[in-house]
Amino acid sequence: MNNFMVVGVMLCLDKLKVAVEDKVILKEINLTIAEGEIHVLLGPNGAGKTTLLMAIMGMPGVQVIGGGIYFQGRDITGLELEERAQLGIGMAFQKMPQIPGVTLRTLGELIIEKHGQDGSLAETAERINCTYLLDRNIGFGFSGGEAKRAELFQLLLQQPLFSMVDEPESGVDLDNIALVGSVLNDLFERKQVKSKKRAGLIITHTGHILDYLNADMGHVLMGGKIVCRGNPRDLLSDIQRSGYEHCLRCES
Amino acid sequence: MITQEDYLQTLKEKAESAADKPAALGPDVDLSQFYLCSPQERIENPEEISPQLREVALYAGVDLNNDKTPGVYLQVDRSAVYQKMQEAFKGKMEIMSVSEALKKYPELWQYWWQLVPVDTDKYTAFAELCPAEGYFIRVFANQKIEFPLQTCLLLSEDSGIQNVHNLIILEEGAEANLITGCASAREDQAGVHIGVSEIYLADRARMNFTMIHNWGERFHVRPRTVVKMGANSFFNNTYVLLKPLLSLQTFPKAILEGAGANATFRSIILANEDSYIDVGSSLVLRGAGSRGDSISRVCASDRAQVFARGKLVSYHDQAQAHLECKGILFSREASIVSVPELEVYGAPQSRLSHEAAVGPIEQEAINYLRSRGLKKDEALSLITRGFLNVDLPGIPPALKKYIDQIIQVTSKDLM
Ligand SMILES: Nc1ncnc2c1ncn2[C@@H]1O[C@H](COP(=O)(O)OP(=O)(O)OP(=O)(O)O)[C@@H](O)[C@H]1O
Ligand SMILES: [Mg+2]
Repeated sequence: MNNFMVVGVMLCLDKLKVAVEDKVILKEINLTIAEGEIHVLLGPNGAGKTTLLMAIMGMPGVQVIGGGIYFQGRDITGLELEERAQLGIGMAFQKMPQIPGVTLRTLGELIIEKHGQDGSLAETAERINCTYLLDRNIGFGFSGGEAKRAELFQLLLQQPLFSMVDEPESGVDLDNIALVGSVLNDLFERKQVKSKKRAGLIITHTGHILDYLNADMGHVLMGGKIVCRGNPRDLLSDIQRSGYEHCLRCES
Repeated sequence: MITQEDYLQTLKEKAESAADKPAALGPDVDLSQFYLCSPQERIENPEEISPQLREVALYAGVDLNNDKTPGVYLQVDRSAVYQKMQEAFKGKMEIMSVSEALKKYPELWQYWWQLVPVDTDKYTAFAELCPAEGYFIRVFANQKIEFPLQTCLLLSEDSGIQNVHNLIILEEGAEANLITGCASAREDQAGVHIGVSEIYLADRARMNFTMIHNWGERFHVRPRTVVKMGANSFFNNTYVLLKPLLSLQTFPKAILEGAGANATFRSIILANEDSYIDVGSSLVLRGAGSRGDSISRVCASDRAQVFARGKLVSYHDQAQAHLECKGILFSREASIVSVPELEVYGAPQSRLSHEAAVGPIEQEAINYLRSRGLKKDEALSLITRGFLNVDLPGIPPALKKYIDQIIQVTSKDLM
């Protein structure tokens, strides 16, 4: 039985094959994330981690050339980007594009309008220390850490069922990692025992974010394949000790 | 000494000599194909203005129902139809038809055709030979009129010609904000609008001047504007054109005579259908430390042709100015031509610069917005609005909101 049809599964990738500009980046990705679970994605630079998130989000230019993507049991492989967003998939990007004349506030208001969340813009901005960034144009003059927080601010407004976060800790100082961690806990409703439904996939290199957020599962992506799975902390300490080469051996 | 009579006679002769002179730029318009409109009756109560005209005015940024407006002037075709100044502003400023003003203050002839040469081209000549009103605004020394004044020039008759000659005088230290809305009653209308504007800013005078044009699809529009600026005066002009027309050619000029004068021209152009648009602005820097910006934002779609010009001329070492032209082409049949000119005469320390960029909307930005759940057309409209909506520092929030609303309403049609 295919596990992607099972009730309680948030996201399922079935033999997913992905190319960018006709170059195959991801070969045969199988991945299942259940409701309420947070998974982390590890892997060396250029392994295809960001590409995988983009493929799940449905970014044009990232072509699915084989296999499928299932969201809550529904085949979304052919859906447009915005349709996936409307179903409840959201992503915090590794880098923010520049959009002249469009402020973070304007975009925030539109996100609230689109996703009908009742959270107030001002409160959310305050929560993630973005109030002073609200009237800046998207992508202009944001420091690395500010851009990260602005991305999470948008996710908080969007409240996706399934959130993908690309390197939440890179370029973020220690104080702000704690903040990012606690905001991610909010996002995944980690503190509310009752409605543990929201799920996520987080890319991390350092694993620092794991000090603030309990992840359920880790995957190591190398050479376009998931070569290793397991407890995220164990995976990280293995990688720290013996490098990614170790994971390659583990595949066999 | 020249007498008024001599002067007026000379004007007439000069105008006659230029009656057939084509403009230096833009397609030539055969004025004989258009009619002089019949006069309209003066009204005392804005309620008498038809709801349709009132809506036309509103979309051009002029809210005739707003009773906070210190002063308002409404011209329909060739006639000053309605003008009103709030009691509280008596003695601070005046607003009236220019014919009344010239009658009331004969000495104003010393400002008449002093900045815009009457023989510039056939359009200025026509304005002199067949005068048809315009508005006069004067703000007395050190009076600060915060809430925007509103003037509205509407053309109701099909194939009509409207030529106005406006005169604005801000005395020393005076401050004013002005919204001018120019529009035709119907979208499919033909017509010609010639607008001569002579603006005098005395020392320390400050003016924000926002002009919104909503003409019919078969319109030719030829504004002729020159601003003369005293020491430490400030002029901030925003020109907004969002609707298609046959042709527009305008190249307003600010002459920064006084030390520390500061001028900014912005052109916000959404060119669609078969519009031929030749816009730009020119700054003549004569005063020490005078500075300015000439900015244009152009979106061209359908078969629109746009020339975006900017000219900076410096005569003074401590002068500084920047030219910026940014364009987005939405269609394979549209064009944008950016024409920057920087001229420095004997002032090696002056700093003039220009920056021009024409390119598509970044796909990355569209995708980013779509990933937040915006549809493709919503993303495009938001990016367009952002692109056109250049930062307007020094502009009162009420005024900024007007422009935002109009851009929002209109850019929806672009997709
Ligand atoms: N537009 C593109 N054209 C060609 N190759 C691309 C393109 N985008 C990505 N790639 C390639 O795909 C591979 C995977 O890139 P990706 O950004 O997914 O890596 P990553 O695992 O996120 O790396 P990092 O840890 O450095 O962020 C890289 O080899 C990259 O060069
Ligand atoms: Mg990456």
